[in-house]
Amino acid sequence: MEEQAKGTVTSLSSLFPAEEAQKASKRVQDTIADRQKQLDLLRDFAADNNNLINLVQRLPDQLHHDIMVPFGKAAFFPGRLIHTNEFLVLLGEGYYAERTSKQTTELLKRRGKDLESQVESVKAVIQDLKAEASFFDATASEAAEGLVEIREDYAEETSPEGPSTVGILKPELPISSEGDNAELAVENEEYARILSRIAELEKEEEEAENAELEKEEEEAEIDNKFNEELGKSGLDVSTGQHIRDQEINDSGVRGSSNLKERAASSRNRSIESFPEQLHVESSKSVTKDECLAGSLASDKSNVTENAPKQNRKEDTNVPMIAENKAFTGSIVERAGAFDIKPSEQTVGRSSKPVSRFKMQRK
Amino acid sequence: MASPAALRDLQRDLENKANDLSKLQKDISKNHQIRKKYTIQLGENELVLKELDLLNEDANVYKLIGPVLVKQDLAEARANVKKRIEYISDELKRLDITLQDLEEKQNSKKETILKLQQKIQSLQAGKGKA
Repeated sequence: MEEQAKGTVTSLSSLFPAEEAQKASKRVQDTIADRQKQLDLLRDFAADNNNLINLVQRLPDQLHHDIMVPFGKAAFFPGRLIHTNEFLVLLGEGYYAERTSKQTTELLKRRGKDLESQVESVKAVIQDLKAEASFFDATASEAAEGLVEIREDYAEETSPEGPSTVGILKPELPISSEGDNAELAVENEEYARILSRIAELEKEEEEAENAELEKEEEEAEIDNKFNEELGKSGLDVSTGQHIRDQEINDSGVRGSSNLKERAASSRNRSIESFPEQLHVESSKSVTKDECLAGSLASDKSNVTENAPKQNRKEDTNVPMIAENKAFTGSIVERAGAFDIKPSEQTVGRSSKPVSRFKMQRK
Repeated sequence: MASPAALRDLQRDLENKANDLSKLQKDISKNHQIRKKYTIQLGENELVLKELDLLNEDANVYKLIGPVLVKQDLAEARANVKKRIEYISDELKRLDITLQDLEEKQNSKKETILKLQQKIQSLQAGKGKA
């Protein structure tokens, strides 16, 4: 009912066409292949280095070695290697140093360590690129499935809270005078209200998730605003709940003109206060979760933007990024579960409680 | 008629700008390659310096100059490598600045090309209507 006016539904494929996402993923895959080659080369170097270390360690075991000396490109002649504990080691840049076997081994081991650290950094880069590729793949498949993005302005989110409280309060008085039927009616009403509330919250959650999917286009600024609004709406919702609670209690007191009514209303209140409290708590926790998800989303967007740079610099950040990804990944999964037929489901979910609520109003 | 002539002019302009842009991009990629080379050299020189620092004072150090190994003083070698590192880092800084400059130029070129394209499109659309 309100949705059409408030929110906009855009299919993800219009924002990120499936082919584009696939192209992006392919490009990332190419980069991964390049890096893999680099990694293989580095590993070759490391293996060569280890072989050389072994050779250098073995050479001074004997006073001389009989070897074939290379002469030109294709010729060898037999020779003898003497001074087996004297090495002329290339340090790089044309500098050579005379070293013993032991010193050379130490030098080579230092080089090996350097190579290892290089291998590790390349590995980290590959891991990061793989995560990126999987993200592009996921986006491509989601766009192909026809996932939709539902957007809604949060400024309006607080205003429908007012009319809904009035709408719920109105039937309260006649119901309380009805006495015996009241219990059932209140229960139904409560149920409807909770359902509508849950639907709303779920919608918000979806939005947070979709915003996260859209993060590449969204700038950090927008994200921040979004988070702020999320936080605000969360606050508003919880205070709104408190106010509603109070109003209900007040109206209960006011409405009780005779004893019978008072008894009925107090019963109502006792019934009502329990789910209401539960309700408030649950709504609070959900909004908190949302804030978390939102902030995580923004975090993640920052992270992915900086990821290549960060990774190159610090490997320690990698697990943290992975953690974030794992968390948001679960959210995305949930979104997928909800949104097999997104447009139908959202409409159905929200229209159900609203229609029930309408029924009660009349 | 004026508009076909103007259109032709614009298209020629666009071509020139596109050529400039591709030249700029070539420069940038060349700069990147040079930068990469220097970074590798810097790493190598740092390694050499580390090894030279680890050597004993009485160790024999040689420098390969052309086909001959020339014996060098250890202190002299260290000073040379240090100087070389300084030179390379300066060069890297300089390259960074030129790279930034080139990229700015590239972006402005891209913008002008985009504007030109829009102009041509609008001209063509006007011609289509007329």
